Amino acid sequence: MKRILSGVLAGAMLLALCACGGDSSAPAETTAAGTDAPAETTPAEASTELNIYMWQQYISDELIANFEEENNCTVNLSYMSDNADAITKLTAGGGQEYDLIMTCDAYMESLIAGGYVEKLDLTQIPNSSNINEAYWTAKDYCVPYLMNYIYIVYNTETCPIDITCYNDLIDPALKGQISTIDGARNLFPIALIALGYDPNSTEESEIAEAYEWLVKFNENVVAYGAAEQNLTNGTASVALTYDGNTSWAMSEMGENNTLVVADPFDDAVQLGFDLYVIPTGAQHTDLAYKFLNYICDPEAMAKNLEEYPYSCPNDAAVAAAPESYRNDPARNFSYKENVFFQEDVGEALTIYNDYYQKLKVGQ
Amino acid sequence: MSTRINDTTDLQAISRKRDLRRKTLPALAQAGPVSVWMILFVTIPMLYIIYISFMSRGVFGDVVYEFSLESYQTLLDATYFKVILKSLQVALFTTVLCLLLGYPFAYYIARKPPEKASRLIMLIMIPFWTNSLMRLNSWLLLFQTSGPINNFLQWAGITDAPITFVYTDGLVVLGMITNMLPFAVLPLYSSIEKLQKSLLEASSDLGATPRETFFRVTLPLTFPGIFSAVILVFIPSLGIYTVSDMLGGGKVLYIGNIIKNQFGSIRNWPLGAALSVLLLVITGALIFLYTRFSKLEDMEVV
Amino acid sequence: MASLTKVQRRRKALGILGDVYAILIYTVLYIPVVVMMIFSFNDQRYNYYWSGFTTQWYGKLLSNHALMDSLWYSIIIAVLATVISVVVGTLGALGLKRYEFKMKKFINSMIFIPIIVPEIVLAVALLIIFMNIGVSLGMGSILIGHCTFCIPYAVVTIKGRISGDGETLEEASMDLGANRIQTFLRVTLPSIMPGVMSAAFLSFTLSIDDVVMSNMLAGAKNSTLPVLILSMNKSGVTPDVNALTTIMILVIVACMLLSNAVKAMLRKRSQAA
Repeated sequence: MKRILSGVLAGAMLLALCACGGDSSAPAETTAAGTDAPAETTPAEASTELNIYMWQQYISDELIANFEEENNCTVNLSYMSDNADAITKLTAGGGQEYDLIMTCDAYMESLIAGGYVEKLDLTQIPNSSNINEAYWTAKDYCVPYLMNYIYIVYNTETCPIDITCYNDLIDPALKGQISTIDGARNLFPIALIALGYDPNSTEESEIAEAYEWLVKFNENVVAYGAAEQNLTNGTASVALTYDGNTSWAMSEMGENNTLVVADPFDDAVQLGFDLYVIPTGAQHTDLAYKFLNYICDPEAMAKNLEEYPYSCPNDAAVAAAPESYRNDPARNFSYKENVFFQEDVGEALTIYNDYYQKLKVGQ
Repeated sequence: MSTRINDTTDLQAISRKRDLRRKTLPALAQAGPVSVWMILFVTIPMLYIIYISFMSRGVFGDVVYEFSLESYQTLLDATYFKVILKSLQVALFTTVLCLLLGYPFAYYIARKPPEKASRLIMLIMIPFWTNSLMRLNSWLLLFQTSGPINNFLQWAGITDAPITFVYTDGLVVLGMITNMLPFAVLPLYSSIEKLQKSLLEASSDLGATPRETFFRVTLPLTFPGIFSAVILVFIPSLGIYTVSDMLGGGKVLYIGNIIKNQFGSIRNWPLGAALSVLLLVITGALIFLYTRFSKLEDMEVV
Repeated sequence: MASLTKVQRRRKALGILGDVYAILIYTVLYIPVVVMMIFSFNDQRYNYYWSGFTTQWYGKLLSNHALMDSLWYSIIIAVLATVISVVVGTLGALGLKRYEFKMKKFINSMIFIPIIVPEIVLAVALLIIFMNIGVSLGMGSILIGHCTFCIPYAVVTIKGRISGDGETLEEASMDLGANRIQTFLRVTLPSIMPGVMSAAFLSFTLSIDDVVMSNMLAGAKNSTLPVLILSMNKSGVTPDVNALTTIMILVIVACMLLSNAVKAMLRKRSQAA
């Protein structure tokens, strides 16, 4: 009985797999091959597939297609839904599955210390000379892709006040008006700066004070996340968000755009980088290097920027980008130098998380 | 079979062999796969979760295999107590609403002829073959400040300024109910459908009012269905986090969010495991009390 | 006589009330689906608000490999999870109902764990185990995860349909010379078929819409549609996902209507014969 059923089952599975291979041959076949043929990557012959783990809606399909054509290979993109997903993949031996993983600058220190990322041979990435050194932390281990300012945008028609510093965000006039990014390590620095402390403070008393500030801020928040959506449909009049998302929102509003970046602004804003690392033990490093070199190419990157209008550390690409990108009102603000970076806070992370949870649990 | 069966030991052996063929083998073939699956993919992982909850957190968020009660000490913090209380409240509220809305609905379907009833049941399930996140997003699109509902209200002159529906508790409740209602309706329908019509008729023939019939006959006899409905709605509501994240604007953390964050962005697996164990203990205790109270052993779905 | 008509009138009023109530509930359940379908025609890069009619997303759908592949994986996983859960669940329900063995009580309580434990807990538990024994994440791991929560539902559903006199019938069948397999296929299975069908239905529904388990256990190359949609959280969901879901639901409904029509036709023919 059981044997017959298991036979039937095996047959069904086989059929399903065949059907799967027939219809969308590339990914299905590589799944089968990936597990039992790591020997594929003998140095003599070039790899034919590249597995990248990154954000969804963050790289142009055209760029990927061109790279595939030039190098006669298949690029498999898979997507994370949280920055932590990338860290989970990296610390769980991501090299087995991925050749390139996107992460951000704040994690680099621990990742290098933990030996989770490969040291890069920059001579294999000649185009990397286009990247502005000022924006390149942990230079030997990563290649920056795009970068994000976390700043304040508001709707001149609906926002009751002019915003020039973080303390304006706790003005009771803004009750239920703010759409903001989420996460302990994104929110607390804002409060710490507003209070005049180091944005990467490890002092519990300062974090506790920041918590009190955020409680007031929380009163004014309508939603965490989905800033573009809330700005464009009128749910929020103020947003604490990334410049790339602001650019979307502004172009989405088109002619009737009433969104402006808060400028002048007295406080430092957070600047973060999304960068690529090669996880330890990656299988197709030859292609990974070629890809890193390709995204540093000014022409290729300029085209990508047209579609994904985020700030970019690649100066040559920015220069080659079209007028519309360079004059984008979302990136036209005067305080680009007044920035701070998110740093590893070590054990203090638990303090941040405790207060963050307390903030979200409320009374 | 040339040997003559005189010997009692032989007889015993044969009967044992027959027993093996008649009882043990079929039992093994039938209960075997499910037992193996449950032990491999439920017992072992759950034991491991319990084990990890007693370990400590490493520098990179990895698990260091050193005994520690730290995670459980952390749980004593009032914050977690509040989170759990809040989650229980929401789950209870959802469950009660689903039962109140679902019972008459299930009753309505069960009174239809079987062919039609099965089609109506099918009709409940179809929305669930689209993605739940997409359905939640639909509510946002519908109710947002410049969305159709607000436009209509303004057009009809009911209100001057748009009403803020999104990111309110009301919308979260609506999202919870549309996501959970079928899990209440299915078991309720199944138990009401099994109810014999003759019993109800007898009750009314004996002079009981419809209300008496309902409270004395229908309700007690459909108790197994209510029991399953409560479990199937309450438990998932307790752990769900997508609804409050999307429709509530992520302003409130529930126990599901906190567990997810421990395994995700916060990377404190022992604490996440300890929270999971706590949740397991709470649900286990509730169900134990519940079964004791209602004297039920088995549950029914569909 | 007068009182009878009063009762009848009252019944009729109750019946209308019931219809109205049912329509109301169905409306609430279907509003999100209809809104989702409407927004598949939205002329906007992301679905933030309505900004014009277009059918372009349907045209662009076929060229979006990530989306098509993920839908394909979702369907394959849902079908396989349904088949495995129903087979293991049917056998398990029979075995656990009919035979006494040492571990029975233990297995019975284990079956309840995936039902009573929030999904995230089981997902994490499986993830840790898979990582520790070096199972690579992918379609296999998602499938195991889905089966783990579908099997208990299948067992419980089918167990409710096994009647006490089934065993007598089976013995009779075997006394009459049928072997075990024949007996199973001709006697046992037909008697529990409604339960098996509901179990299949439930398993498919649970699997195709699962986010939590799939997101935890997805590997590098293949994620299911819900996981892909979750990863769109950062920017917003694009209308082509709406288009895809619209087509999917229309296909499923068409299949169901077709199977109903075929069933009705067969019944008519058998009645005529």
